Amino acid sequence: MNLSISFYKRMLLVVSLAALTGCAASREALQPATLQGEALKIAVLPFENLSRTGAPLKGMRQAMIGILRTDGANILDDDSLEKFMARHRMRYMGGIKGDDAAAIASETGTGAVLITDLENYSEVIPPKIALVSRLVSTERHPKILWTDSVGLSGDDSPGILGVGLIEDPAVLTRKAMGLLTVSLERYLAGKKTTDRGVPDRAFAAKFAPKLFYRSPVLDPGHKYTVAVVPFLNKSSRKNAGEIVALQFVKELAANGNFKVIEPGVVREEFLKYRIIMEEGVSLSNADIFFTDLDADLVLTGTVTDYQDYQGFLGTPKVAFSTILLDRKSREVVWSSRSRNEGNEGVYLFDMGKVNTSDVMTGQMARAVVEMMVGK
Amino acid sequence: MGTKLRQRGKKTVMVSIFNRFILLSLLLFSFAGCAGVPDVYRDPNMDFGAIRTIAVLPFANLSREPSGADRVRDVFTNALLSTGAVYVLPTGEVARGLSRAGIVNPTAPSPEEVVKLGGIVKADAVITGVVKEYGEVRSGSTEANVISLSLQMMEAQTGKIIWSASATKGGIGWNERLLGGGGEPMNKITEQAVNELIDKLL
Repeated sequence: MNLSISFYKRMLLVVSLAALTGCAASREALQPATLQGEALKIAVLPFENLSRTGAPLKGMRQAMIGILRTDGANILDDDSLEKFMARHRMRYMGGIKGDDAAAIASETGTGAVLITDLENYSEVIPPKIALVSRLVSTERHPKILWTDSVGLSGDDSPGILGVGLIEDPAVLTRKAMGLLTVSLERYLAGKKTTDRGVPDRAFAAKFAPKLFYRSPVLDPGHKYTVAVVPFLNKSSRKNAGEIVALQFVKELAANGNFKVIEPGVVREEFLKYRIIMEEGVSLSNADIFFTDLDADLVLTGTVTDYQDYQGFLGTPKVAFSTILLDRKSREVVWSSRSRNEGNEGVYLFDMGKVNTSDVMTGQMARAVVEMMVGK
Repeated sequence: MGTKLRQRGKKTVMVSIFNRFILLSLLLFSFAGCAGVPDVYRDPNMDFGAIRTIAVLPFANLSREPSGADRVRDVFTNALLSTGAVYVLPTGEVARGLSRAGIVNPTAPSPEEVVKLGGIVKADAVITGVVKEYGEVRSGSTEANVISLSLQMMEAQTGKIIWSASATKGGIGWNERLLGGGGEPMNKITEQAVNELIDKLL
């Protein structure tokens, strides 16, 4: 009897140690970030809300700043940031234009700006949250240094008898913030954020576009500069065009073959030339991006379905088409149509189900980008 | 005895004539089915191989779904381009051309307007379409998705119709009546209908 208790105790200890080792590994990975992050002062911009609902954006931002400061990152104080924004009448938080980026560097000594968009937020049990962040350099021509996203649902891993179910939105938000900041700090530490590898066959089969055209003009070995224009939104979901475009920005930046122009700079061109796209990008619109921004390609498209669901029952549904216009040939060099539902290929206990449309859009965008570069 | 036999013989002849009549009617009906009106028109004098660039105009929407025509046009444009046989102009470029040509009703342009548009966007042909059904149909307690559309292609040099076809997919069939389930997803039947039309075109 004693022996068996001792065995169970030992087992418990081993399991506990293993769990602690896991924690130590993730914290240990953050240490170099503190060292390198000191030099790079980061301005965390107020979050932009692309979800349809009200959300505690200030609290989320403070939580993110708190985590980054605890881990030793050098964050620009709120007072200086607010004064700068008031001075430059900076109202748009979903991106940064070249003039503002250069000004924030010279006036506050900031090296990079962290831009975060809240794509989905629901407090209905199980809660849902989706965020996409990017770190942009403060130069006249801002560069996307890092970008990542996180999409979580309280019932992602319910476990046996629902022990893993998250019902508190605050807990889910903290978890999302933790994942996003770990990814950012890994970048600051000079580590690769995620080893994406080559997508497997099942991924490719599930999320690959259902129809596609790829021109032989696209050279897989060439590094292209791409301007991502917000997609035309023909779905019933507000901001779906911006969300899909941001997922493409993330996936194109993560893929080594593309240099993505900061969306704030693209937006500035729209305002400067008063471009209104009623039916998508025309060649004359694209010419502005080709000449002014020195882009090789312009990526845009149309979102026809973007459906989320609340509660336990339902499945996300996303459908969009993508086109890529080429500067040299002045033609469409890529065209595709993607459509997916979260429960595709799910047969048992919801295994493999995608619970948020944002995550699914990211996977669909990744499949498109992989096929664009000929992988 | 002899009278009875004669009457039975008469009856047999009558039945045989009636059977022949039925058989003949059935045959005629079946031949009539074969002679149904085809739903494809192709101009026999047109060289379809010469068409390199196509402009797909906005489709007219006769369905209850307000975005039905835009959705079908999006699928059709992508499907046609993905064949690699022709180049399809981006919708933004077509919209610019329509605006410059001053076409008031882009779903039903006149031959002169087609010629004008073709010159502006440099297209060899222009496709217009009508979405007749898009969405759910009900019959009693059964429901299913259905799509029905017809397209026509006009030569950009003359504005003449050179091809026309229609397709219908989905709807309530035996499976839906017996098993229910709401039929196939809208996106899937849209792709099926569009592929059928492209097969009729190429």
